[in-house]
Amino acid sequence: MLSAVLEQTVNGLMAGSVYVLVALGMVLIYGVMHVLNFAHGVLLMVGAYVCHFFFTRVTESYVLAILLSVIVLAILGIALERAVFRPLHGNLRNQVIASLGLILVFEHLVIAVWGPNALQMKVPATAALVPIGELRFPLQHLLVIGVTLAVVLALFFFLKVSKFGTAIRATSQDRMAAMVVGIPVERIDWMTFGLGTALAALGGALIGPLFLVFPQMGDAPMVKGLAGILLGGMGSVPGAVIGGFIIGIAESVSTLFLPTDYRDSVAFTVMILILLAWPRGLFGVRVRGED
Amino acid sequence: MPARIALALLLAALFLFPFIAEKQPYLLHVLILCCLYAIPAVGLNLMLGYTGLVSLGHMAFAGVGAYTAAVLMVDARLGFWLALLAGVLAAGAAGAAIGAICLRFRTHFFMIVTLAFGLMLYSVMNNWDEVTRGAAGFPGIPRPAPLGGFTFGPLPNFYYLALAAAATAFAVQWLVVRSEFGRVLVALRQDERLAQAKGVNAMLYKTAIFALGSAIAGLGGVLHVSFLRVAAPATFSLAESINAVLIVIVGGAGSLAGPALGALVFVGLPEYLRVAAEWRLVVFGILLVLIMLFAPRGLAGLAAHAWARVRA
Repeated sequence: MLSAVLEQTVNGLMAGSVYVLVALGMVLIYGVMHVLNFAHGVLLMVGAYVCHFFFTRVTESYVLAILLSVIVLAILGIALERAVFRPLHGNLRNQVIASLGLILVFEHLVIAVWGPNALQMKVPATAALVPIGELRFPLQHLLVIGVTLAVVLALFFFLKVSKFGTAIRATSQDRMAAMVVGIPVERIDWMTFGLGTALAALGGALIGPLFLVFPQMGDAPMVKGLAGILLGGMGSVPGAVIGGFIIGIAESVSTLFLPTDYRDSVAFTVMILILLAWPRGLFGVRVRGED
Repeated sequence: MPARIALALLLAALFLFPFIAEKQPYLLHVLILCCLYAIPAVGLNLMLGYTGLVSLGHMAFAGVGAYTAAVLMVDARLGFWLALLAGVLAAGAAGAAIGAICLRFRTHFFMIVTLAFGLMLYSVMNNWDEVTRGAAGFPGIPRPAPLGGFTFGPLPNFYYLALAAAATAFAVQWLVVRSEFGRVLVALRQDERLAQAKGVNAMLYKTAIFALGSAIAGLGGVLHVSFLRVAAPATFSLAESINAVLIVIVGGAGSLAGPALGALVFVGLPEYLRVAAEWRLVVFGILLVLIMLFAPRGLAGLAAHAWARVRA
């Protein structure tokens, strides 16, 4: 039983890592621009396809393919901010609906180009097993968790220390005041959007080898990432990290007691119950424009 | 007045359509699908367009109605009309119960919670094999029993049923919008605090419209599975809920004719253009983004604008 719990906890940390990468991107974008981009999940999926493309056609190196995919998606994110989200600034409802349109565009564009079937991505780290106690995990699992933790730490450091990071935090806290002290908020907008989609691409590139690359692969991470954000508290970066991991671990451990089919429902039930008890989430920040 | 004459002409044309297009069963098929997509869109239009509640799980409530009716008809051997009524009531009750929870949240919190409930209901339809027959779908759903010698098996006859149901949905929408109730809903969309200061119980009104919108979705759901003769979870998935939003927005949120225009474009245009399925949704996605950017009032808004220009 104990080893089963341990196994599911590691699985949960792995799934949670992906939710954290998605949640971080969404929460940064939400903080700065007050945009909730429901297309974030399909951008993760596009990131996985781009990584797959580079890995199978261009380079033998998985790491290089991830980097290229992250760069391509950052550029795509910046383009989307320019073309779609900036003109709709301040209108949450229209932004959300436009992002639903982007879901249709990207999901079906990918189906039109690559077909509806799942693609395989054979990375050496999926085959290598690492023993922990009496259990053995694929190296890729631990790689996903390790890379995510490293990214989270780097991001915290970046937000606290660097000038750009400080500007992001300032813009999130009070856009008008940030403008007054001379922060170029529009530049912060597109840079944050690019950073967010880059994180999504990283998530897609990391889980691609584990769960195949297919057009709907971003749906669950997007919804769970959202659940993580709400759980952690809308607008809180540490909250998004903790929320994402809670969702991942809760749904994985629940498979020990409940049929696997209801794993998603467990994640949502946890989210809704916590929200009913603490409407601002666990680390809720009061964000302008709400209630 | 011209609006009423136009409406009467439109209804007459729709009524006579099976006679005009006698050799075109395919066109009839497309029109039936338009009706079946327009009905849930009417429910969503009342919520999204008039009240400002962006629900991202709308089609799941159509699924509640459809599966309730399916179980009653196939397992309990209940007649179609009673099952239809039960399906509509079940969808409305689910809407009232789940809406009461969702409506404790606002703006994007509301959207995400409706999305979560939509996915949970979908998961039940997809996985509760004993009752819903699971992912393979629920086969053997009958067409309605004959009513006074009028059978619903043949395509033109089912068309009249779908048309009547759609007309009922639009009539309900019209009655709601012009009523005191409807004016309160619009007031809630425009300024909820002000409405509350005037003594409106916002929660009660919003729950009521969530329930009514879901019940209308249930009507569409029951007819949809009766037309296809099989209920499949995919008909009520997140993707379909997004399509419902698309239909309402493209047609024109908060306009009486919006859902009809939206459904006509959504179902009719790709059939006419004969584009492959994946490109069709790419086109619709781009259309949705463009409408948000340049014509937030949708096709109905564009039409009204053009009409005002013509008259000026």
